[in-house]
Amino acid sequence: MKPAEVSLPSDTEVLVKRSFDAPVKLVWRAYMEPVLMRRWCSGPPGWSMPVCEMDMRVGGHYRWCWRSDENGQEFGFTGEVLEVVPRARIVHTQIYDPGDLGYSMGGEPSIVTVTFQEADGITNVATSIKYASKADRDEAFSTGMTDGMEMSYKLLDDVLAEG
Amino acid sequence: MHMKQLDQAFAALADPTRRGIVVHLARGEASVSELVGRFSLTQPTISSHLKVLESAGLISRRKEAQLRPCKLVPERLKAVTDWLEQVQEIWEGNYKRLDALLAELKQQEKQERKK
Repeated sequence: MKPAEVSLPSDTEVLVKRSFDAPVKLVWRAYMEPVLMRRWCSGPPGWSMPVCEMDMRVGGHYRWCWRSDENGQEFGFTGEVLEVVPRARIVHTQIYDPGDLGYSMGGEPSIVTVTFQEADGITNVATSIKYASKADRDEAFSTGMTDGMEMSYKLLDDVLAEG
Repeated sequence: MHMKQLDQAFAALADPTRRGIVVHLARGEASVSELVGRFSLTQPTISSHLKVLESAGLISRRKEAQLRPCKLVPERLKAVTDWLEQVQEIWEGNYKRLDALLAELKQQEKQERKK
């Protein structure tokens, strides 16, 4: 499968697209069942996902938390499910919980929409993260966090050193 | 490169016209009037886009020449693309694990059907 494509379609949005060699019913399960999700959504090398609680019904809440193996630092995301169309679409809010990493990231929740589309046994997944404002997006983006992916400050330092 | 500069660069690149200008300048220097012709926009519009790109450090303009041609600052752009690449790598890392998990789920389904 072609690698994930990250783009910035508007001032307040980040879009990530990827295709998977599996029918949508399996991809959907991997996104909906915490036991499965924890196995793949563990983030950058050296991080794990010790908390993955989710009640993926409209009005239900979720809580995801990541932990660094190296120093035990944690951060996470929480939010509420706004819309569920089985095997097609899930929309939820997302609020960043800085845990003990400390730094903030916008105030308003962002809206995450994940769409699933199957064609010939291949499932295309598009994840759109809409931030409440451009400032929130730029902040989230430059701290390296998008939809539960976090980048440690170490990586940031490396990038900045190169620049 | 400071965090604030990276923020500015991202903000500057969020606009499609400014991205177009950056792509155009990747081929070499250009004057404002060349850019006006290329993008079919007014001179003040192009100039204001150039100002944003310049203050984000993505382009520089020669002071001595009368036409003040614009030029890409490749190091700054590289810092931005490196950054996007690293964000992409994190997503791709997750997705590769998802590939493996899906292969496993497919296998399980197959075996269950056999039973």
